[in-house]
Amino acid sequence: MTDTLGTPIQGVTLYSFTRPFHAREYDLEGLIRKTAVEGFGPGLEIIGFSSFRGFPDLDDAYVDWFKDLVSEVDLVPTSLAINGDWALRPDRLMNQDELITYMTRQIEAAARLGFPIARVQISLTPDSMEALLPVAERYGVTLALEVHAHQHGRHELILALRDRYERLGSPLLGFTADWGATVSGFAPSLLEAYRRRGASEELLQAVTDLWNQTYAEGPPLTEKAHGDRLGAFIGLAHRYGRPDLGIDFAINGTGLFGPAPVDTWREIAPWIRHCHGKFFGIDESGEEPSVPVRELIALLVDIGYTGAISSEYEGWHWNYWQSPFDIIRGEQAVQRSAASDAGSRMVTTSDEACHQLRQHLRQPVRG
Amino acid sequence: MIPDRIIEAGTLTRDGERAAVEVRLPWYRALPGSCISEVAFSVDGVAATPESLRWTMNGRTFRLDELTDEVDEWWFPADSVLVEGDVNVAAGEQEHRVDVELKLFIPYIVTAHGVLRIEEHDTKTMPATASTTAKASQP
Repeated sequence: MTDTLGTPIQGVTLYSFTRPFHAREYDLEGLIRKTAVEGFGPGLEIIGFSSFRGFPDLDDAYVDWFKDLVSEVDLVPTSLAINGDWALRPDRLMNQDELITYMTRQIEAAARLGFPIARVQISLTPDSMEALLPVAERYGVTLALEVHAHQHGRHELILALRDRYERLGSPLLGFTADWGATVSGFAPSLLEAYRRRGASEELLQAVTDLWNQTYAEGPPLTEKAHGDRLGAFIGLAHRYGRPDLGIDFAINGTGLFGPAPVDTWREIAPWIRHCHGKFFGIDESGEEPSVPVRELIALLVDIGYTGAISSEYEGWHWNYWQSPFDIIRGEQAVQRSAASDAGSRMVTTSDEACHQLRQHLRQPVRG
Repeated sequence: MIPDRIIEAGTLTRDGERAAVEVRLPWYRALPGSCISEVAFSVDGVAATPESLRWTMNGRTFRLDELTDEVDEWWFPADSVLVEGDVNVAAGEQEHRVDVELKLFIPYIVTAHGVLRIEEHDTKTMPATASTTAKASQP
């Protein structure tokens, strides 16, 4: 709890629109213009390896074209999602030195493209984050390591990073809080997708029950506990005669729908530099049925969060029957309503977002 | 992830003993050649042998075993690659059943069980056109 209520910045990641991009209905320019016209910004997040052909090697003319376009449509670049591909050669994993070199090129690309934050991933250890701090300083880019299900704010790996951040005391090291870590139910639209793949109602009920059981027990605090849960979802699919769905159940049941309580974010609250407003769908009543969006916004307002939230619609994996643009519009309305209910508001204009984001990233973290 | 998109409709071509089809990436972000683990291609139930398969990406053609070391050429999610192999497809206007299976490594997800490898399969029916030195449709 702080004295000042948070006013999160509204935004979107183009990852939400993977399906129309992949279908060649929109190219990168088309999606950026669509985002601006629809008012899904002002915050704009992009995944480097998804949207920029040849990433991270981009020529100056292309970088200029991108920055001019974003400026023309009045969006505010927030986070460039970069990847820790330590299995680039699957038969020979990179060591941390090689991974640091690999990440450095992407951090440089983030700076050139005008993104103040680079989203990095859990493949980086506390030592690697410390080694990357001079790189972050050189380019003026905040490194926000994504806390993503099956991890969460109280997981051993995340607490180790937090403790290192606290010791280093730099505003350039922090976290991206992905709301998929704190989900409250198995997404109904995914159950519908399994139904369309011929799963029986008994199996769907069993998957729901198993997930609800993990929710009741709480999130895994260790990697070993996570491994046990993966096995439980795979075993369930086998018992019901659908082994083909086992991996899908396991990955989604543990890696998309993390069962941590919302208040676990308080463990790392001072280091939250960016948020992925991960969600999976909007129901007939206009609400997100499996992600506690209102509770999450209330928490961010309460802790005084002034960074951006990239609405991140992930139901597109299985939901081919609804428009991701309509779904983003619906989820952002919930966010704004929740901020208002919490006695605050979302920032929705570019000028204010730009100014506020600069302040947010400059301020030292509160240890 | 979106396996129904793997085979590009209407792209089956034949050229004597060879057949080819355009294939899309069933993933949201670019992957290098090294992450293409296994590829299977068959027409009307007749599979091309792995040794006969060729993979054309960004204008360069590879045997499958050459992809293992390829970290410079990347498969971009909006691009097609051309998969071709030894399958004799009869001339004529009839429909053919095309099957493609892809096994792809996901290079940032490594678990206690190793590097995540996704397995995706697609089946589509389409007529075959005579090849005019097929090229993958990507800039």
